[in-house]
Amino acid sequence: MSLIEVNNISKSYRINKRPKGIPGMLANLFVPKYEMRQAVKEVSFQIEKGDMVGFIGPNGAGKSTTIKMLSGILYPDKGEIKVNGYVPYKQRKEYVGSIGVVFGQKSQLQWDLPVIDSFELLKAIYRIPEEKYRKNLDRFVQMLDMGNFLQQPVRQLSLGQRMRADIVAALLHSPEIVFFDEPTIGVDVVGKETIRNFIKELNAEDEVTMLFTTHDMQDIEKVCEKLIVIDKGEKIYDGSLLGIREKYGTTRQLDVEFAGIEHIAPIANVEMVELDELDGRKKRFVFENKQVQINDLMNFLLQNYRVRDISISEPEIEGIIRKIYNGEVITT
Amino acid sequence: MNLAPYMAYFKKSFLNRSAYRFDHIMSIFSNCLRMFIFWEIYKALYGGRQEIDGVTMSMVTTNFVLSMGLDAVFYINDYFLPDKIGNGSITTELLRPMSFKGRMIAENMGNAVFNLLFRFAPAFVVACLLIGILPPASPLMLVLFVVSAVLGYGVLWTISFAVQMTAFWLLNVWSMTTIKNVFVNVLSGTMIPLWFMPDWMEGVLKFTPFSSIYFTPIQIYLGQLEPGEIAIKCAIQLLWIGVIYVVGDILWKCGQKKLVVQGG
Amino acid sequence: MRNDTLNVIGVYTKTIMKAWFQYKVDAVLRSLAVFLREATGIIVIYFTLLKFDSLNGWNMYEMFFLFSLLFLTYGIMILFFTGLRDFGRTVRDGSFDRFILRPRGLLFQIIFVNADWFAAIGHGGLGLVLFLISAGKVGVSWNLGLALYYIVTILGGVLIQGAIFLFLATLNIYLMETNSLKELFYWNMRKFAGYPISVFHKSVQALLIYVVPFAFVNYFPCQFLLRKEDMGQYPEIFMYMTPFIGVGMFAVAYLFWKYSIRFYKSSGN
Repeated sequence: MSLIEVNNISKSYRINKRPKGIPGMLANLFVPKYEMRQAVKEVSFQIEKGDMVGFIGPNGAGKSTTIKMLSGILYPDKGEIKVNGYVPYKQRKEYVGSIGVVFGQKSQLQWDLPVIDSFELLKAIYRIPEEKYRKNLDRFVQMLDMGNFLQQPVRQLSLGQRMRADIVAALLHSPEIVFFDEPTIGVDVVGKETIRNFIKELNAEDEVTMLFTTHDMQDIEKVCEKLIVIDKGEKIYDGSLLGIREKYGTTRQLDVEFAGIEHIAPIANVEMVELDELDGRKKRFVFENKQVQINDLMNFLLQNYRVRDISISEPEIEGIIRKIYNGEVITT
Repeated sequence: MNLAPYMAYFKKSFLNRSAYRFDHIMSIFSNCLRMFIFWEIYKALYGGRQEIDGVTMSMVTTNFVLSMGLDAVFYINDYFLPDKIGNGSITTELLRPMSFKGRMIAENMGNAVFNLLFRFAPAFVVACLLIGILPPASPLMLVLFVVSAVLGYGVLWTISFAVQMTAFWLLNVWSMTTIKNVFVNVLSGTMIPLWFMPDWMEGVLKFTPFSSIYFTPIQIYLGQLEPGEIAIKCAIQLLWIGVIYVVGDILWKCGQKKLVVQGG
Repeated sequence: MRNDTLNVIGVYTKTIMKAWFQYKVDAVLRSLAVFLREATGIIVIYFTLLKFDSLNGWNMYEMFFLFSLLFLTYGIMILFFTGLRDFGRTVRDGSFDRFILRPRGLLFQIIFVNADWFAAIGHGGLGLVLFLISAGKVGVSWNLGLALYYIVTILGGVLIQGAIFLFLATLNIYLMETNSLKELFYWNMRKFAGYPISVFHKSVQALLIYVVPFAFVNYFPCQFLLRKEDMGQYPEIFMYMTPFIGVGMFAVAYLFWKYSIRFYKSSGN
């Protein structure tokens, strides 16, 4: 039995379709039109204790809806969810003490008050014992370097500072599972790095299970081991980060530096790109590794032209994901 | 001057209002109910008497229907500027190649026209059927009523405009706006017909713009004013518009300077 | 367990007060604005009765006395039920999602997370002023029994209005926008309840007695104390029912809330 078990969950919303223009407005005033939009379609997955899972997909793919169902905010229309032995939407009060949720777009801190006041409030709400509260607070404040703004009102914080404070707010009660919804949105590069390192460290030291959604592929590449990709409400990939490269990252590229200007005759199944480097002496060859044997291509080039340097590279995860979203890669 | 962008804002605010359909129907119902209640209270106050101080019950009724009707049309967003200062968008707004004040008027007009068609009209029909109002004194007076009502809107708009300008200095204008509305509600005649104000209050009213908003057009409608008086009262309306606008505009200019100094 | 609940209520209240004191001048101005806004109706009554002397046999002081109960009960009620008043916004801006994620009762959080002290001071202050002006001039010879009746009446009135707020808040689960409904069934009705209900059409009276029972918040209790002529139209027992209606309505509203909360759908984004 996995820590998080999701079985065939579905969720639809009813949305008011507002026609355009003045006639449409009049029509809607009297006879509103609604349509059902299915946000999540029969999605299943399992997450084990201590996993770090990236949960990604384009806008409107159903990520937030799924997170909300997992955290108990929404009831699924169909299907079952079991987390840590609880059914989130049925055993709310018992369940939520064991999870933490960070919504990057929606702070849970008291806007007008110093950060520390929000923490004290959470201590009371979650019934955190004094000793544990102190220990956690000191540790997180040190890890995230927050000592200099704990006494500042939240409204005066930068986005990165606010986000760090929000992350600590979700962790003070030592949850076993943490859901992050866009935890690095709007944060600068240095801030992102701090947050990523913190998340990694926490996962490694405390075995906290984590699921997070993000638009930033760097987050995923640097932090996650597992990946779940969702699009139009359906799960399209579920596996390791490396696996996605093996499965879909089938293009390879060969960057070749020639000794002089060479005219290369077209090669079957290989696309050649002129690179504006080294006065046109460098060229890139892109091909599918199923269609072209890399050895054959290298031998061909080495035998026919004067080659100075050669390098092979695999595609970036980001590129693969973009291709999946665009439907350029067939997923099954 | 190119009017197209202003028309766009006019249309936008008109269409936005239609988004909350249920709310809208309820607010019409609310308006009707309020009129009905005031009518009942005054029926009890009159207790069968024909007239009090020369004011008949039907004049009172007409006063309520028209002033509440106009009040429904004269909806002004008192937080147009304060919101933009509050969320900091004012600096980018000022860079647009159009007059900010013009845009403010355009959006308010969009609302007013929406209210006229979908709030005032239905409530007015219901009020006429249920309570009945006096007909205008003459067709000419009806025309002059409309003219004076437009001027009344101008007075109310400039008051709101000037109060909104205080947002440049105050952190929160809710209190100012609320206090302004207290004055408008008590002194403009929407809650108590100004005929019934004690004498000393009438003296006070003369020196405030509030009776120019609803009461002047209603007096014209009822034929209570001689042609000469109409001219004077409308001139007073114009005068108030001018005076308050100038005050508001001075605040507007100072406010913009303050914005520049502080860098938004 | 009890200690823990009191502790969290204490921390919530401390947080509210602290936020309030961040803007001292604004806080004073706000309370004043609420006071003046609510006084609008009183000023209108004052001017009207200067001219007309009485309304259905009620003179100015009796009217002030009638009004004072309305404001006093609201002033107390809003300290507890601000969260219900603002529930629509709480749902729309996603704050309610956060309540769901915390290991505390949902209604508990709604009630104790927020308290509008401006409104409490504005309304309650006005109620107190009106009571002090009128209580000695309406011919009530106050004794312990009447004082007790008055206090129980206030509690009943608080519960009646709390129940209306809870009911309207619950409707937010089904409808995204309920401000107009609140305007109609709460604020309008409250305006009417400032007057002796006997002046109104039978249908409006029925509304104020049976549907949104404001008549039990101030009119019938005032009748018990003042015994005006127009009480003849209503059953005597109405003067004693306020606390029972308060408790009953709140219980029903609470059950409706309990039943409805499972249909809550997050507003998404």
